[in-house]
Amino acid sequence: MAKVLEGPGMGLMKKWGISVPNYVVVTSVEQFDQLAKANDWMQKSKLVAKAHEALGSRFKLGLVKVGLDVKGAQAAVKEMLGRQVGSITVSQVIVSEMIPHKEEYYAAVKSTREGADILVANCGGIEVEANWDRVKRLSLEVGAKPSDEALEKLAKEAGFSGPLAKKMAEFAGKLFACFDSEDAQYLEVNPVVAREDDGQLVALDAVTLLDADAKFRHPDWDFPFAAEFGRAYTKHELEVMAVDSKIKGSVKFIEIPGGDTAMLPAGGGASVYYSDAVVARGGKLANYAEYSGDPPDWAVEVLTEKVCSLPGIKNIVVGGAIANFTDVKKTFGGIIAGFRKAKAEGKLNGVKIWVRRGGPREKEGLDAMRALREEGFDIHVFDRHTPLTDIVDMALQNKR
Amino acid sequence: MSILANKDTRVVIQGGAAGLNAARRMAEFCYMIKRPLNVDAFVYPPDAGKTNEVPYGSGLLTIPIYRGVAEATAAHPQINTSLVYIGADRACAAGMEALNDPRVQLVSMITEGVPEKDAKLLARHAIKLGKTFNGPSSIGIVSAGQCRLGVIGGAFDNLVACKLYREGSFGVITKSGGLSNEIIWICSQFADGITTAIGIGGDAYPGTDYVSYLEKFEQDPQTKAVVIVGEMGGDLEERAAEWYGAKKRRIKLLAVVSGFCQESLPKGMKFGHAGAKEGMKGEGSARAKSDALRKAGALVPETFGALGPAIKATYEELVKTGQVVPVPDLSPADLPKLPKTVEEGMKTGEVMVAPLIKTTISDDRGEEPCYDGYAASDLINKGYDIPHVIGLLWDKRLVSKQEAEIIKRILILSADHGPCVSGALTTIIAACAGIGMSQAVAAGLIMIGPRFGGAVTDAGRWFKYAVENRMTVDEFLAYMKKNVGPVPGIGHRVKSVRNPDKRVKELVGYVKSLSMKTPHLDFALEVEKVTSAKKENLILNVDGTMAAVLVDIGFPVESLNGFFILARTIGLIGHWTDQKRQDSRLIRLFDYLVNYAAPKRREAPPLK
Repeated sequence: MAKVLEGPGMGLMKKWGISVPNYVVVTSVEQFDQLAKANDWMQKSKLVAKAHEALGSRFKLGLVKVGLDVKGAQAAVKEMLGRQVGSITVSQVIVSEMIPHKEEYYAAVKSTREGADILVANCGGIEVEANWDRVKRLSLEVGAKPSDEALEKLAKEAGFSGPLAKKMAEFAGKLFACFDSEDAQYLEVNPVVAREDDGQLVALDAVTLLDADAKFRHPDWDFPFAAEFGRAYTKHELEVMAVDSKIKGSVKFIEIPGGDTAMLPAGGGASVYYSDAVVARGGKLANYAEYSGDPPDWAVEVLTEKVCSLPGIKNIVVGGAIANFTDVKKTFGGIIAGFRKAKAEGKLNGVKIWVRRGGPREKEGLDAMRALREEGFDIHVFDRHTPLTDIVDMALQNKR
Repeated sequence: MSILANKDTRVVIQGGAAGLNAARRMAEFCYMIKRPLNVDAFVYPPDAGKTNEVPYGSGLLTIPIYRGVAEATAAHPQINTSLVYIGADRACAAGMEALNDPRVQLVSMITEGVPEKDAKLLARHAIKLGKTFNGPSSIGIVSAGQCRLGVIGGAFDNLVACKLYREGSFGVITKSGGLSNEIIWICSQFADGITTAIGIGGDAYPGTDYVSYLEKFEQDPQTKAVVIVGEMGGDLEERAAEWYGAKKRRIKLLAVVSGFCQESLPKGMKFGHAGAKEGMKGEGSARAKSDALRKAGALVPETFGALGPAIKATYEELVKTGQVVPVPDLSPADLPKLPKTVEEGMKTGEVMVAPLIKTTISDDRGEEPCYDGYAASDLINKGYDIPHVIGLLWDKRLVSKQEAEIIKRILILSADHGPCVSGALTTIIAACAGIGMSQAVAAGLIMIGPRFGGAVTDAGRWFKYAVENRMTVDEFLAYMKKNVGPVPGIGHRVKSVRNPDKRVKELVGYVKSLSMKTPHLDFALEVEKVTSAKKENLILNVDGTMAAVLVDIGFPVESLNGFFILARTIGLIGHWTDQKRQDSRLIRLFDYLVNYAAPKRREAPPLK
């Protein structure tokens, strides 16, 4: 999945005929001033300014301001840009037109195993969460398109009547068209509002999750994807992502501040079991990491350096199952080079390293790891006869 | 017995290099169980009409490549299965093509990064046709003792270690390719091994779920228990739990689910697999899945490490109740060994090979080429130059600074002599005729011979002969006249005593200014005195001078023409480039430059 920020998300909805408020995304006050001169609506309408970042609870943080005039919006932009929230620096602000309205509704399309569900409710905003039973659903098989009748029936079930039911059905149809054509996995508009002057339904907000795997058929996806977990990627994470995008196979790395057990396992499946074992034994994860698909040794070396530079770690778990075709000797070569570099830089003092692995050239790889003992590493090496996650038990019970 | 893949499975592989690699792995499995290769055809339009070579034992099988699946199944009607190794952007079309073939019943897609929508479309189409679509992102399917589809099971040693040569009692279904081997290994260590292991892939919406395979395992009497390896995200494990709990099942169910760590990680975090993502409101969490499976009666150990003992306990109970009769294992000696490659055999000292050719000058098997043992980068960084490389590769020695300077001067002096000499002219004609650089330059180089630049070796040979035999100039000239002919290195078409050759003077002057012995050059100059007195243009020419000097500094006679060829190549490349840059037109000789000495036009007599 790939999360898309509000601006590009609304851009996609607009492309499929959904009315959205006028908006601009600015990265500087100068840019705001220029756009304010060029856009009539910025002078005429009341405005909303929001920090345009992958941040949760922006309202509470004061990063959403409503009912502004152009001067007020400029002040809000000035205030928000450059603000530091955790690891995120606000670098963009989205300024949009306020749409006067009385009622708020809800519409969404989500991917299901069989196809997609269209969700509609005649309440909106935070009210939806509290009244989930008022959300009505139309399930569609993949490849199928909703008929106008089915959409209208859905709107009526959700409590819309008269011309509004028709409008809501049309809105949901457009949202589905956007979902289906843009390879979305989740689209949510909350709230949908009826504009006071002409009664047209307008999307006031957009949550957009796209299928990043489908990027090859969407040359117009010219926006970056945002981190999905409420914070921006760290420098180390971005560096590993940059390596990941260049190689055959993959390397992944996510930092978790405050942990003391660092993960350096192989395989998308096994890495999660290793992480689980740490949590199950009462350990604190310092990161999530993984390499797989026989990546080049230099990429594994970069990953190792990042893992070794995590602050305050006591154990490093070099776990792995029995590989199908990842060359154990070669990938371990990258890990060993990374360990040596880290040690030379004075890292790894008092850090215990735990290794368990099998697969092509397992003996050579494990022997090379074992030899690190002679170089003064506190390393413990096990082969396929030791059950997968037992090294975590040993590390955290401080046995051996 | 087994499910999905068995002795009768015949395969077409759709894809290029990755597909060929899979075929090789599959051939290793077939070889282990002493059955013919089950891959009958490849489909890969760019290579259609060609063949792929697949090693089988110590032999090599030739498997045809077709443009499309229909073509492949028409030629090999026994095909019933397709493995898709086509890139993510074309995987959907490839999968549809295979599903639509009436002979193909199972399509397993190995491709990773297939868009969700494509996977769903493929899954729905397969259901509509009553076929099985496995994957995407599947590591493969293996039925012990019967059939391997894809690379599942890993290297040959691992196939043997995991006893995949014969059937066990445990079925395996896993989302993780990396863990498939682990589970197969555990089943073979703690129990009697597997019947069939299936990788369904870690995508959010795999084509086939646990339930579809649990149903099949339930119908397979050989399978007594099934291990499923799940993870957070989606609801496939909950559906499996629902299936298992719905009524009394013959098979025992063991399961592990990963993702408990998510409870202490940043929300919304991406794990290794696309599908491993918790839904909203805690749906699809590892805890919810584990609880559901436990409630349905499955055995769900606390950690992955505890899975081995759980399998062991299950197996012992099956044996105790007589549902499983332990089978004796084959000794490794009874199994075919994968033949070693020659390289491996040589490494272990089991094979000796008589080399086909011998080389004594260079070696590029390391990280960079070595010239006569010296690394190219080392030479560069220590200030060595082209003449030193020539010394190393042509005479296997590091020439001195002084010798290097002489060689450099020779190369500069003979790099080019204008467009009129035969080599340059030929290259120019070729360039104007649109011939490529290497051929045009080669055409020019072919002109080097006794009349153009090719006298260096011969001149060196005879000057050396004279000096070695302490001949006087007269004796030498008499000998040459009688036995050889004109003296190579003597004489010039244009230059003469009155129109001396500056290049020769330059080279002779420089060599003479050095404190080195030059017996061959001295002799050549003595010869010149005599010949040029007889005829003005019988002077020592560039070829002869180069030859005498090079023999003086010790270069082998065989190498001497090489100096001219090397130097002149620089000029010929220059001429070719020059003509191209000017976009020169095609050369046709003017009539007036030809003396048409052929018979005048006449009538051909009638054919007899």
